[in-house]
Order: sequence, then C-alpha cells, then structure tokens
Amino acid sequence: MWQLARRVIRQTLNDKRSVGLILLAPLLIFTLIYFLLGNDDYTPIVAISQDVPAPVSRAIEKQDLSIKTYNGSDANAYLKEHETVDVVLDMKDNELALNLREPSTKSSKALREIQAGLATLQPTMQLETNYLYGDVDQSTFDALGFVFLSLFSFFFVFILSAMALVKERSGGTLERLMMTPIRQTDVIFGYTLGYSVFASIQAILVVLYATTVLDLPSEGSIIWVFLTMLGLAVVAVLFGATISIFAQSELQVVQLIPFTIIPQIFFSGLIPLDLIPYGLGNIGYITPIFYGASAIKEVLVYGNGWSSIWPYWLGLFLYGAALFLLNMLALNKYRGHQKRHG
Amino acid sequence: MDLRLNGVSKSFHQQNVLQQIDLLIPSGEICGLLGPSGSGKTTLIRLMIGAIQADTGTIQIGDNSMPSFKMLPEIGFMPQNDALYEDLSGLANLQFFGSLYNMSRQDLTERIEEVLTLVDLTNDQKKLVRHYSGGMKKRLSLAISILHRPTVLFLDEPTVGIDPVLRRQIWNQFQAIRAQGTTIVVSTHVMDEINECDRAALIYNGRIIAYDPLDRLLAQTENGQVEELFLLAGKDVT
Repeated sequence: MWQLARRVIRQTLNDKRSVGLILLAPLLIFTLIYFLLGNDDYTPIVAISQDVPAPVSRAIEKQDLSIKTYNGSDANAYLKEHETVDVVLDMKDNELALNLREPSTKSSKALREIQAGLATLQPTMQLETNYLYGDVDQSTFDALGFVFLSLFSFFFVFILSAMALVKERSGGTLERLMMTPIRQTDVIFGYTLGYSVFASIQAILVVLYATTVLDLPSEGSIIWVFLTMLGLAVVAVLFGATISIFAQSELQVVQLIPFTIIPQIFFSGLIPLDLIPYGLGNIGYITPIFYGASAIKEVLVYGNGWSSIWPYWLGLFLYGAALFLLNMLALNKYRGHQKRHG
Repeated sequence: MDLRLNGVSKSFHQQNVLQQIDLLIPSGEICGLLGPSGSGKTTLIRLMIGAIQADTGTIQIGDNSMPSFKMLPEIGFMPQNDALYEDLSGLANLQFFGSLYNMSRQDLTERIEEVLTLVDLTNDQKKLVRHYSGGMKKRLSLAISILHRPTVLFLDEPTVGIDPVLRRQIWNQFQAIRAQGTTIVVSTHVMDEINECDRAALIYNGRIIAYDPLDRLLAQTENGQVEELFLLAGKDVT
C-alpha cells in the first residue's frame, strides 16, 4: 500500500500539469469566482419623468442611483435609444410606471433602490431586515462559497485519479501490477492514500486562501471544512477509479463528464433542493458532492460542528465504501475470480 | 517447474479464441509460441499466468493450478505493450515493482543494479521513461519482469518493432536468463526466431498445429522453413 502511494506521489510530482491542475487551478478559479460573484459597486441609471411628483423624485434621488431626466412619451423607445439607462420611471394615469430594460441584476438592483426610496416617504412602511444567518451586505460569493469549496475538492481530484487509472488500465500497468503479489485492497488504499496527500495540500491551500485572502466568512471552525473537503476528495479518488472502469481512454473520461460531474453541480446547493420541481431534488441524495457541500454549509453558514455534520459524513463514508467494493470487484478479474463463461 | 496444459479452451463473446490446447513445457527450456497475429498467443500466455481463467481444461505450473495467488512471485511477465510508468524514471519503475515482492531492501538494490547491467540501461536509469526510445522501453520492461528472479518467465512478443541488432541482443539476454535455470515461454510471429527456442508450438486459428522440440519440427518440413507447416494447416482449413 505504501509503495503504491509513494509511486502515485512521485509520478504526480513528475507531471507538472497534474500538480498545476490540483494546486493552482482551484486558486485561480476561486479568484475568478470571487470577482464575478463578489459585491459590485455598480450604480444603476434611472431616468425620471418630469411628471413624477417632486417629493417622490427627490426621495429616489437620495438613493444610490444615477439620475437622468426623461421627458418623452414612449419609455420603451427611450430605453432603446439610451443603452446605458436601466430604468425609466414615468407617470401613467396618475400612477407611477416602471419600465425596465430586461430582467437582470442591474434592473433588480435599481428596483431595490427605488423601493427603498419610496419607503422613506411613508415611514411606517419601512422594513428592517435581519437574517438569522449571514447579513444583508453578503455577496453571492459569500453565500455560495461552500458550493465552490466542495466542487473543487471533488472535481480536480476526480479528473486526476480517473485519468491516471484509465491510463493504467489501457497501458497494461494495472495488469502488470496485479501479476505481482500485491493485495487488491492495497491497490485501492494505495491509490486513495497517494492522491489524498495532494488533496489535503489542496484543501489547506484553498480553505486558507478563501478565508484569508478572499475574506470568505466562516461561522464555524474551518478545521471541519478542511476535514470534509478531504473526505470528499477521498470519495473523488474512488469515484474516478470507478469511472475509469467504464472508460477505454482518457478522452472517454472527458466524454463522461456530462453524466458524472455536471448533474452533481446542480444538486450541490447552488439551487435549494426543495425548489427543484417534481421531487427531482431528491437526486441530490445519490450524489457525493451533495453530502460534502451540505456539511461544509453547516459549518460555514450555520456555524455548526460535529453534531450537525456527522450525518453527511456518514453519507460520504457509505458512498466511499460502495465505490470501494465496486473497485474490488473490478480488480477481481485480474486474479481469475470471475465467473466462468458459458 | 514443468508447465502443463490439458484441454484448455477459451472464448470471448461466443468466439472461440483457443480450442483444446494441450502442452507440456519442461522446466528450464525456452518454448516458443509461434503464430500469426490474432492466432491466440496473447490469450494463451494470459491464461498461463492466471490473468484470465480458462473455460474448460486445467493449467498447472508445478503442482499448482492456475490462477494461483501463491504462484505470482514465481512468475515473470513481460506484456506485449510496454506497461511502464512514463512519468517515473527507469530506476523508479524498477524500485516500485521490486518493492511489491518480498525482497530485502539490500537485495533489491543489488538486484536492480544487476538487471540494469543485463539490459544495458545503467547509464539511463535516472531518465524519465517518457524520454526513452522504443528499444529502451522494451529492455526496461524485460528488466522488470526478471527483477524478482521468477522461475517461469512469460514474454509476449518481446521483439516486435525492434531493429535486428537489438533483437540479437535481447535474444542473447533470454539465453543468459535461461542459463540461470529459468523456464521461458515466448510468443512471436517472426518465423526465424524459432531457431532460438528449444521447442515450439505452432498456433493457428486457436489450435496447436504442431508442438515438438526444434529439430523434430524442422524435420517435418522439406527445406527447414516452419512457414510450410502453417501453409499446410491453412490448406486443411479450406
């Protein structure tokens, strides 16, 4: 087992692309996501008609908006002409009329600001918002950080182990390995151990980078986050090994990604499972990333510890155990234990 | 240890690959498995090492029925493709495979040096296999297969794609390994190579059409070319 783990480590270190994939790629992508989903300081542009009552327009002007004057009759034509304007506020039949460009984050931010401005006109209508977990100023990045932590710890290790094992199967090294007196359990444990070394370095790097440099807030102890990522990575190694049984070449591993990885992303917590119609959300329970992401969410968002995450760890463990058995069965064929044909 | 096959058949996907193979390979000899590609040589070797199981019949090495976990340390296997770790050096490949056998660290180090000398790779041992030439890979693969001093060595088309000079060298190495008492089973589709063997089995369409010591095989031909025997077998089929 140790010999195999050491070989996996040596082999991976000699292949700089693999090292880059597992250590640098997550940091790079995390940084990108931080900028893409982080808080933006965009100020929506609102054109207000002169027909709008002065107190109303004054209240709205006080908000975080950039104001233009509009004195036409066709709001849609105005929006088409002025491509930077997000919203036109007009009066129609003595009622305020909002014309928005398109459903987008820009429009919804403009809408929020306008509603806040209107609320100041009627103090009893003002809402004080409080969240049990997190706060109003939280960006999408802060709220969904747990999803990306779990996705990364799974995806990169999966790619690495599936590719390496497919190469071993097609290149004949696995058969050669099985012709030595090594035990089947040692083969699988050895692989898992070898890649887990890289997975732990990756987990430490990513968690530290996310929480310190990118300021990802964590309510609970990041030790639990780190350990969950490691557990998820172990399942990823076994998952990759299992997929490699069904692929004849590295290309086929890539071809299988739409079936193996992409559906898991949807059930990772990106969309709340109970919002997914027809009970399809239950599919989440058969995807390993769901268990990892849920456990990390418990810690990062709810600030919980062992007492809340153990059911998810149990799920991961059972998943790993099932994949382990599958791999044992697949290795049996090299030792002539398979059923006789015909 | 003698190698004994009795009535061995194997089929894949309802297609008979080997039918009723009987062989007795005496200990300490080089036995050639000669036949065109697709005749079942590789399947026969994989059956003998226990990588796959026969549908019918028995395979024994010494007193052990194959597949046998107990026999694995006694078997050396050089697959048809190189089956090496490209991202490791030649030395690291040897160290890894060697470490899977029950050898002391010192014995392993000495033995690695020995086999590296035998296959003439001592100067290139630190290079990554990725940068090896085809011939160097073959020689490293051979070195790995004899590293643990197997009593029976199986070589699947070891000289395919190898230039004549290197082929000569490799056969000299096989003779040297045999001289140390190792039984060698070697498959090839190059008819000339039969002259290097003590005995040979001619395989055609999954059947053994002739199996004899070399002199007796050649005596069956008119001008000492084993090709004739294949041509005869081909005529029988049609």
